[in-house]
Amino acid sequence: MPDVLIADDSEFMRNLLREILEEDHEIVGEVENGVEAVEVFKEEGPDLVMMDIVMPIRDGIEATDEIKSSNPDANVIMCTSVGQEEKMKEAVKAGADGYITKPFQKPSVMEAIEDVVPS
Amino acid sequence: MNVDIQSLGTFNQLAHEGAEQATQSMGQMTGIDAVVDVTKITLLDRADVGEELVGRDFVGVQFSFDGVLEGDTVLAFDVDSAGTITEEMMPGSGDDEAMARSGIEEIGNIMMSGFIDGWADYVGATIDHSPPKYIEESGSDVLPDAPENGDHQQVFVFKSEIEWIDESVNFYIYMLPEYESLTEMMVEHVDTDGDAIPIDKLQTFNEMTTSGTQQAADNVEMMTGIPTAAEVTQISFAPIEDVPKQIGTDTFVGTVVEFTGTPSGYLMVLFDEVSAINVAEAMMPIEMDSEELTEQHKAAIEELGNIMTSGFVDGWANVLQTSVEHTPPRVVHDMGRAIMDPLAAQVGQHQEHAFIIDSEMRTDDIEFQAEIHALPNEKELRAALDDLDVERATETSADVEQIFK
Amino acid sequence: MKVYDGSQTESAAQSTPERIKVGIAEYKVTTEPALLTTSGLGSCIGIAIHDPHSMVAGLVHVMLPSAADIDGGNSAKFADTGVEALIEAMEDAGASTDTMEAKIAGGSDMLDFSESGSSIGSRNAAKVRETLEEFGVPVVGEDLGGDHGRSVKLEADTGNLVVKSANTESKTL
Repeated sequence: MPDVLIADDSEFMRNLLREILEEDHEIVGEVENGVEAVEVFKEEGPDLVMMDIVMPIRDGIEATDEIKSSNPDANVIMCTSVGQEEKMKEAVKAGADGYITKPFQKPSVMEAIEDVVPS
Repeated sequence: MNVDIQSLGTFNQLAHEGAEQATQSMGQMTGIDAVVDVTKITLLDRADVGEELVGRDFVGVQFSFDGVLEGDTVLAFDVDSAGTITEEMMPGSGDDEAMARSGIEEIGNIMMSGFIDGWADYVGATIDHSPPKYIEESGSDVLPDAPENGDHQQVFVFKSEIEWIDESVNFYIYMLPEYESLTEMMVEHVDTDGDAIPIDKLQTFNEMTTSGTQQAADNVEMMTGIPTAAEVTQISFAPIEDVPKQIGTDTFVGTVVEFTGTPSGYLMVLFDEVSAINVAEAMMPIEMDSEELTEQHKAAIEELGNIMTSGFVDGWANVLQTSVEHTPPRVVHDMGRAIMDPLAAQVGQHQEHAFIIDSEMRTDDIEFQAEIHALPNEKELRAALDDLDVERATETSADVEQIFK
Repeated sequence: MKVYDGSQTESAAQSTPERIKVGIAEYKVTTEPALLTTSGLGSCIGIAIHDPHSMVAGLVHVMLPSAADIDGGNSAKFADTGVEALIEAMEDAGASTDTMEAKIAGGSDMLDFSESGSSIGSRNAAKVRETLEEFGVPVVGEDLGGDHGRSVKLEADTGNLVVKSANTESKTL
């Protein structure tokens, strides 16, 4: 069972993701900003990070960049309301493995995860 | 076709002074104490003109005018206030329908002269108006049809809202000039070329915003299961001190973000309290059935506001091939006008007038209505319009699959 | 001379006083027992000045700290020139700065996105105080700051300033 770190500043969204994921995944942490995401990633080494982009203190693209440069094998899926092409390109550049735009339905989340971390 | 901000300001001022002149004339004839509350210039789809009048009955006096400026104008009174006005002019005339009607026509005639004269004086030419035409209509039918123009789906509307001091009734002056004659006149009166904006591109920008509103409405529907339709989208221009008045004094719940890039500014997503509770509950997995707004409701609104904001601004970024960043949303629960006030003040540190972008969405299923208002900084809006490639206007959404292949 | 005992019964029995609305970047002065009102104060400030001696009252709704910071605009838009304009208009109506008293409300920090420096609300408040002090008009009541909007109502005859917020009980300064 792959373990997952959820990084999103919205409590509502963390709950929603937890509900979608907890059946098949172990949630190793839920954090609210990019700094905490990097910290918890280093401590827990999860198989997958579900990463929001717009977060306080440090955004998800910067956090992804740091995670991927220290650990190229890490799997990060951006999970964001931002649907801008330039942002998506920035995410690719930072090393993101997938990109889900909110609002999402459970099947599209499962599909994106399957693409990045095949079961 | 470029129009400078200063001349838009001047035109707004002309409409405002015209409305004040008209209001004063009415005051002299009736003793009714009224003030012009707001005057703004709005660019919107012709089909949406007068949307804010829906559901009310009006007595109106229509005129057409021609000369250097061509088009139509109307004075629209609430049915009740029309009765009060004639009664004030000629006690006892309220019961005599023909007399009341003639009174309204005459008052309209005099007010309209006051309204138009300022414009004519400013351009140093004559603007003639037709005799008044009396009408009784419901909602936006009180307005004349927006002038037809094959090239332009959108029209400029000058709207003044006049408020009676002691009554809760308002009346309106709408002026719908023909697009060509108005923009020609604007272009002729450009004072400086430093801060000019391409006026035709404002229409394209409006279309982009309409599709952004549709995206935001689709997002609401996906998150709540409530079928939601985008309604009016418009861009208005007003003095900065009139900006907070664009929103009512009712209490709203919603989110506010600052966005940076091209364009930059502030964006708010607002729900009335009932709508906020309804939409938040539709997002929650469990039944709440609460009458009061709780922290859980606010958390849901925070995320919905975030997603609606992205839906709204992403289209701008994709068409302009740039990125527009926004801060995490701040949840607000306050009087609408007080929410807008600090944002107007922040923008007002650098400019005297502001563009305000307004959108609305609603649904028939439950009581639900949302408003999105954006207050862009003038400098970056101008840059965005300059950069705008009209050919790309429909490229509002990005293809994730294509980028993450 | 009319005596006010502070109870509400008397005013309720009378015909309602005239309401005078004061918009953003506007000021109004009255010598009648009117109600001067302004709504939607976020970072804006409402400055109510009352001169019990001459029975002149006035209210101004200012938006930004100083007229020196931006070109153009009317004087009532700014804290410094707005307070000055109000005091002068009240003097014209027979009031004196010797007996004027000021009450101020608004200046909220809500929705201040500036990352450095103080908020517009607090800069507005500082400028209002500074200007009132220059004219020697004491501040006898205030409800400033916080993260909520306000509406105010000045009773011109008593000088009472009733401050209302969306989510709290109204209070009288």
